Amino acid sequence: MTDELQLIDAAKAGSVSAFADLVKSYRVRLLRFLLTRCTSYADAEDAVQDTLIAAYRYLHSYDPRWRFSTWLYRIAIRKAQKLRSENVVEIGDLSDEEGDPLLHCIAASDTANLWVSARRVLNDDVFAATWLRYAEDMSINDISKALDRSDSWTKVNLLRARKALETEMNGENNGSKVYG
Amino acid sequence: MDKIAKQLKDDAARIDVQISDELDRRISASLQGVTPEIPETDKATQRPVTFWWASSLTGVAAALIIVAMINSQSQIETVPALAPEVSPVTVATIPTIDWKAESAMLTRPLQQELEDLQEDLKKAEEKVKREIGL
Repeated sequence: MTDELQLIDAAKAGSVSAFADLVKSYRVRLLRFLLTRCTSYADAEDAVQDTLIAAYRYLHSYDPRWRFSTWLYRIAIRKAQKLRSENVVEIGDLSDEEGDPLLHCIAASDTANLWVSARRVLNDDVFAATWLRYAEDMSINDISKALDRSDSWTKVNLLRARKALETEMNGENNGSKVYG
Repeated sequence: MDKIAKQLKDDAARIDVQISDELDRRISASLQGVTPEIPETDKATQRPVTFWWASSLTGVAAALIIVAMINSQSQIETVPALAPEVSPVTVATIPTIDWKAESAMLTRPLQQELEDLQEDLKKAEEKVKREIGL
């Protein structure tokens, strides 16, 4: 039995410290992902907190056949969607560095961060799939589970997202059409 | 790893975030206040034994009441003998046949006629025997 599974069992039994150890390495990763999905840094922090609380509360429903990170990201994606549906401000409306939390967290010299472009040209689900694939190294199957989509959908949209981002990298995109 | 995949991975790592002490405290405090949900199966096993007995006895009592009510209200139903059904037979109208036969004209008494016929028959037999060489 891996350490992760032992911690999960202990957390299921009611150990808060075991759960804290379990999610310790995921907190920064979740915050980074949720920052790209939220309109403010505070919202992203709230989403991380909500995700971890929900994970602890419903840990009994976790299926060990899944990777724990897949299950955790699935919750995080739902929390981000819920926050955004409640929020009046759209990410696309955040154009300046002061208003956009993602730009705030990117070094000034790194203005060509591809995730900024990805957020502009990809829709929510395709962006999430791209993030899970390239930032989290998740398998197609795990991404499909996290997004509740088919493997075919994931494969096709990752391929199209890559093409859209290649176009962005090469500076060929002179429009503002959102893919997805 | 190709160029775009590498850039996406590197760019993700360049997003500079950290869990602040305040967020850490908030998360810890929230988790302390959360009670994990207990699965439905566990909840079922936590019911007292008296609950099981009470529900069983209620079910049995309800079944007995229903049986008693049915017995008190039941009557022997006499099934009326069914009269044989006589289905009206439609008799087809028999068409009258136009025989167009002529009745034999008997000119002599019947006995005489019979003898003449037998004699004709005998002659016919002899004629046939002759023809076939018997």
